[in-house]
Amino acid sequence: MDNPLLNHTPVEHKPVPKKSKSQDRLSAQIWKHRKEYLAISPFYILFAIFGLFPIAFSMFLSFQKWDGIGEMTFNGLNNYQFMLTDPEFWRAVGNTLLIWIYSTIPMLFIALVVAFLLNASFVRFRTFFRIGYFLPNVTSLVAVAIVFGTVFSNNYGLLNYILSLFGLNSVEWLNKTWGIQLAISVMVIWRWAGYNAIIYLAGLQSIPTVLYEAAKIDGASGIQSFFKITIPNLRPIILFTVITSTIGGMQIFTEPQVLVGNDGGVSGGGLTIVLYLYREAFVNNYFGYGAAVGWGMFVLIALFSIVNWKMVQGNPSND
Amino acid sequence: MFKWKSILLHLGLIAGLLLSIFPFYWLLVMATRTTSDIYSFPPKLWFGPHLLDNVSRVLSSIDFFGAFWNTLFVAAACTLLVLFFDSLAGFTFAKFQFPGKKWLFVLLLATMMAPAQLSLVPSFVIMAEFGWVGSYKALIIPGMVNAFGIFWIRQYAQESVPSELLDAGKIDGCGFFRLYWNISLPILRPALSFLAAFTFIGVWNDYLWPLIILNDESKFTLQVALSSLNGIYTTDYSMVIAGTLLAVIPLIVMFLFISKQFISDIAAGAIKS
Amino acid sequence: MNTRRMVSLGLLILILLISGCAGTTSSEKTKTLTLWYWNRSLDDELIKSVEQKFPGIRINAQKIGGDFKSKLKTTLAAGSGGPDIVAFNDWVAELFTSSDRFYDLYELGAKEIEPDFLDWKWKLGVTPEGSMIALPIDTGPTALYYRADLFEEAGLPSEPDDVYAQINTWDQYFEAGLKLQEHFDNKVKMLDNITNIYTQINAQSDHIYFAEDGSFIGESPESSMKTAWDTAVTASQMKLSANTTTSSSEWNAAMNNGRIASFVGAVWMKEILMQAAPDTSGKWKVARAPGGDGNNGGSFLAIMKTSKYPQEAFDVMKYIQNPENQVQSFKKINLFPSATEALDAPVMKETEEFFGNQATGEVFSESARNVKPAYFGGKYANLNGIVNRELSSVALEGKNPDKAWKDALARVKKELLR
Repeated sequence: MDNPLLNHTPVEHKPVPKKSKSQDRLSAQIWKHRKEYLAISPFYILFAIFGLFPIAFSMFLSFQKWDGIGEMTFNGLNNYQFMLTDPEFWRAVGNTLLIWIYSTIPMLFIALVVAFLLNASFVRFRTFFRIGYFLPNVTSLVAVAIVFGTVFSNNYGLLNYILSLFGLNSVEWLNKTWGIQLAISVMVIWRWAGYNAIIYLAGLQSIPTVLYEAAKIDGASGIQSFFKITIPNLRPIILFTVITSTIGGMQIFTEPQVLVGNDGGVSGGGLTIVLYLYREAFVNNYFGYGAAVGWGMFVLIALFSIVNWKMVQGNPSND
Repeated sequence: MFKWKSILLHLGLIAGLLLSIFPFYWLLVMATRTTSDIYSFPPKLWFGPHLLDNVSRVLSSIDFFGAFWNTLFVAAACTLLVLFFDSLAGFTFAKFQFPGKKWLFVLLLATMMAPAQLSLVPSFVIMAEFGWVGSYKALIIPGMVNAFGIFWIRQYAQESVPSELLDAGKIDGCGFFRLYWNISLPILRPALSFLAAFTFIGVWNDYLWPLIILNDESKFTLQVALSSLNGIYTTDYSMVIAGTLLAVIPLIVMFLFISKQFISDIAAGAIKS
Repeated sequence: MNTRRMVSLGLLILILLISGCAGTTSSEKTKTLTLWYWNRSLDDELIKSVEQKFPGIRINAQKIGGDFKSKLKTTLAAGSGGPDIVAFNDWVAELFTSSDRFYDLYELGAKEIEPDFLDWKWKLGVTPEGSMIALPIDTGPTALYYRADLFEEAGLPSEPDDVYAQINTWDQYFEAGLKLQEHFDNKVKMLDNITNIYTQINAQSDHIYFAEDGSFIGESPESSMKTAWDTAVTASQMKLSANTTTSSSEWNAAMNNGRIASFVGAVWMKEILMQAAPDTSGKWKVARAPGGDGNNGGSFLAIMKTSKYPQEAFDVMKYIQNPENQVQSFKKINLFPSATEALDAPVMKETEEFFGNQATGEVFSESARNVKPAYFGGKYANLNGIVNRELSSVALEGKNPDKAWKDALARVKKELLR
């Protein structure tokens, strides 16, 4: 994906003599790049200390029956079997995917448009706008949930009040599967569109203005330069937002929990995978099962991320 | 004609802005009202007279300023460490080749995919083992470098740090660290500003992990202290909202301060120099 | 560069600070008891008074909000880092399987004070094996909350005694509901939601899901499970429910706007209702509930096995929960007493403006005296969750009730095997 003109690596590629054993070559290579390894090492060291054990533990736990306090007993594959045959798990998977689609696509689109506008030279009060759009991300969700609860309230909500002003029938938003999913999606878009806009804005700053100037001299319109210059140069940033919002969207938890509670609301429309995991582990005391769900979810996210990476990137092995 | 377009765009931006700040505005209104007012219908959308009353109840119920300094310390510490370690690693991933790079990066991304709720219990076990329960170390040290920030800096540095510049630096005799510190960091400033804002806000609003780790009210962070306002059967929401808003003010100030850094003055001429 | 200088300076300061933050050390002479509780689960001033009452004891009271249970469970799972004294909510039975993690209060002298407490409440803290892991704090006796003005307008009895006399069973309650809704042309609903009906009927019973040996009794005639289900379904079919989740913003608004005429709830719903519906002040009254008296909610105190000072901890708990202090806590923060003596306190006869100058304490005290001792079992909440989800499907999505009951039972049986 990288533009070869802008981005070739500063490391020299000297052909290595073919005779030397591959192992020697590797260790020599590693030694040669010791500074690079040192530079990235803090993450892996911390991961080894604080990350590996929880992963190993949850893997072990997913084969156990454990209420969180008493004795653990070996449970074989029962947790996984229960998961795959529990309609509620699949329901949670479906809900999560739907909410992800409802929220992520509009969110990223809005963010891109807002960022592009905020980057335009003629826009005034940019700092003011940036703060305004970023504000939702700063506010803690528990308080925000009260607001959204009142907006989407079945008979007394602001939304229904507005509908009634236009002579439309009110909708029992939070008594319907799609209504709950819509409310959660709106909450997600509201919270994260401005945040992603700021990311894009930072990305737009990295595009050299000389490129635009050159395009202007060549007679390109604003829209042309948007698609020919902005989008290609923004690609790594777009990839970043797609991957992080895929992972974040698959792990969506707080929004549904504060809006409709641990059961995902009436008819379970807001029951997402992590909410299901949390309910089964911390509310219903099946910690072993919760761990199994966590692994099921990991597989789903990984698959989904690879698909998304491919869609944005073309070929995942390229980068 | 250009003027009309500009006015239209401004109107669009303002409309989006209104949608964006409306819930926040409503929270402000709720903070000036009583808990009963919050649930009245039709909703009360203008300010009431109870702000001072609500704020004073917050201040008498929790040690707000103590919690404020605690949170500031933890958030600032995490942010600084994250900025340094993430940018160093992200820059390295973006601009250098070394054996195993691809798989190391895949591993890094994979760590983001495990839900945090899953590792709550084992992480706590580790902290208990280290004797860090109740200490800020348990909040700061595991959070001092993260996959998210490394991924972000990597993506940003790929396009924005010109390899020509690094090559030139090498010819001038810059070592690895100086390529990072003197040449790349200034270019990465918009990305670092975002990372700083995001990390700071994340730590500031983090709730479940500090709640589980901290055992001493004098060490509580703001969100943990605020959560103690929730009652067993009922909650005084106007007070909780007033407290929440008080806790947000520093974030807005911080964002105001950092926001100027989002705009880079370097990108324009980066290649030329 | 500005940024770089800031980062390097900051890092330097930070290293100094982190290396400086050591754990707190407590002095050796005083015995420190750590207490975990929620806001308003105990009276803060009462906790402060402990240090004067017991010289040599320091109370380190940690008020933990929201995710109290997650924090407690994480700590228990890790096996260390817990408090000396910990508050439990009505999920006390979930901890029975790990009763070895808590001191048996009988061994610390709980037998002496047992006669002071309501028998049924006391038993909720005792495991089937007979060890007592939790001392009662408050109780949640239930009653019928109703809008006296609406009842009167619809031609129903409106004085608490008359309501109790004439609306004594759930059938009578539903009949009255039909009459009321007809009078108000269905603009007012008789009750808030049917899962509450289900919960309340079980709260009035002494046999719900489990026998004391842990076996499932939901299908045997002595259990209230099926009756509660059928009654709830009937309420739905008679269209008596407003389908609003208890204490949601929808519920609050419906109460304040007079769209719901009554509901059966525990004594602590008083505060929720008063906060939600200030516009209806003076119009509500409370009567003994149709179907009998029951209990819903109420919390406890326990001592963790990791505590170094169990006897001191127990003495402190005994003091906090003595009848006098319970009366004080009721006065101050509305914790309904679990001590028998406290039910006769003068404060119970105080009239309340919100409830049309009725002394609701009298109704709730009477209810509290008549609650039947019940065994809940560790999986009560799991099973309730399963049944409630099916009931919601019946109420809101028109699921066939027989199919829903079969699904619920099948899911319950699956749950019991996990």
